[in-house]
Amino acid sequence: MSTGPFEIGATGVDVERINADIRETVAAKMKAGAYVGAQLARAERFNLMNLKKDENFFDFYMESLREAVYVDINDFEIRERRAMFAPLLVRLKKTIWSLLKFYTYRLWSQQNQVNGLLLSATEEVDRKYRDQIKSLEARLAKLESKLPPG
Amino acid sequence: MASPPHIAFVSPRFSEGPTVGGAETLLRKLAERLVSKGWQVDFLTTCARNHFTWDNEIEPGEKVIEGITVRHFPVDGGRDLTAFFDVQSRISRSVKITRDEELIWHRNNVNSQALYAYLRTEGHRYDKIIMGPYLFALVYFASQIHPERTLLLPCLHDECFSTLKTIREMFLSVSGWLFNAEPERDLAIKLYGLDPSRSDVVGMGIEAFTANPDRFRQRHGLTAPYVIYSGRREPMKGTPLLLDYLDIFRERTGKDIKLVLTGSGPYDPPTRLAPHILDLGFVTEQEKHDAMAGAAAFCHPSTNESFSIVILESWLAGTPVLVHAAGEVMPFHCRKSNGGLWFRNYPEFEEQLSLLLDYPELRTAMGVAGQRYVQDEYAWKTVETRLMKALLK
Repeated sequence: MSTGPFEIGATGVDVERINADIRETVAAKMKAGAYVGAQLARAERFNLMNLKKDENFFDFYMESLREAVYVDINDFEIRERRAMFAPLLVRLKKTIWSLLKFYTYRLWSQQNQVNGLLLSATEEVDRKYRDQIKSLEARLAKLESKLPPG
Repeated sequence: MASPPHIAFVSPRFSEGPTVGGAETLLRKLAERLVSKGWQVDFLTTCARNHFTWDNEIEPGEKVIEGITVRHFPVDGGRDLTAFFDVQSRISRSVKITRDEELIWHRNNVNSQALYAYLRTEGHRYDKIIMGPYLFALVYFASQIHPERTLLLPCLHDECFSTLKTIREMFLSVSGWLFNAEPERDLAIKLYGLDPSRSDVVGMGIEAFTANPDRFRQRHGLTAPYVIYSGRREPMKGTPLLLDYLDIFRERTGKDIKLVLTGSGPYDPPTRLAPHILDLGFVTEQEKHDAMAGAAAFCHPSTNESFSIVILESWLAGTPVLVHAAGEVMPFHCRKSNGGLWFRNYPEFEEQLSLLLDYPELRTAMGVAGQRYVQDEYAWKTVETRLMKALLK
């Protein structure tokens, strides 16, 4: 019996197949940019230990982290949903924001600096290890090629 | 007529009341089944209830509980906690330590000289001595007293502690091993090079039950679909991961899904998710089964399980499971049963949960498959047969 993106046969379902299909779907959606962003970086903060075994996903995670690393400290459009006194409320909010901005700008820009430095450090460590592994693999291949056949 | 076999169980705690974990429950249940078969069973344990403080809270001495002769021995005082935590933190960070340092860790873990003395003088009376879980010093030192009649029921995980030299020595010194599932046995064989012929996979039986999901929904006014997790809430069990995933799932998909929790332990949910959590704390078994039966899925995000009673209970309640792929045991159960899916990361979790929510027929089919698996593999009759076969070898 076909019931959608899976089959339920006489013996029931085949979860191995469903899981494989899901992985394919996820890979395609990732390529299409369906998961990039701060949300994903946040979702995986407790999963990093497990992701280290999955090199492709780790690359993807780093990409999401790059997107998420900087806090947006720019001005934004201030609106008011309630119709009554809307112009007055918008003006009040703008005043509050201009006061807050004065105090928080320095704080957020420092936070952005720290985030940026941490990201660079992580990328550098990652690059270093990859280079090291590459050179070790090359050395190993070279040594193996010198071994007598058999 | 030959007298029935006499078996001793050794564990740091005896499962009584709601405060004891899965391994202790497993040992007690196995002991009860042997009693029901007419075997003589002693349970040697400490006077402690709390596995952080190891305070002696129970009177030392002997009492009979459900036909098991339970002997409580006091935990030794004078633990050097600074030394204990110093070594433990280095083990946790995978820093190499010497065998002597491992022994410092064991000596300052939970120990009972009174229990060891009893085993030294009386241990020869037992046909087999079953000990577990592997991580506690009490098991490490007790296993050295009569290794020729000791069977280790380790509840082994792939973790930093399992690679210690002394733990390896313990595994290699005893006469056999009782594992909860095949992946646990495979891990032990890989880590210690054990002789497979001396190992048995036993597990724990799950009592059949009936559940009423409507009763649970009505009692708690639940109309939206929900995911359930039952057990200890702590980082090692993956609780923070589940909270984050569900929060982001709600945000990204716009689906109104709730989270039902039973069990104990503090947790810190994302602000937006908090109003959508129904935390029931400790509940009766019936309430837990009703809650499981009504869920869209049981989610177990832990990567450190050697058995997982709760996912088997969830299947028996007819509910499929979502588990973390990084563990060995739970994905194994899912594959074998066709009752669950396993995720490596958030995107996979989102796809899987969406599938279960969007296709109730799939959810039902997976729940039925899981139920059949538990009835076939983990009915008490089947488990008893495996256990007795292992003990009569």
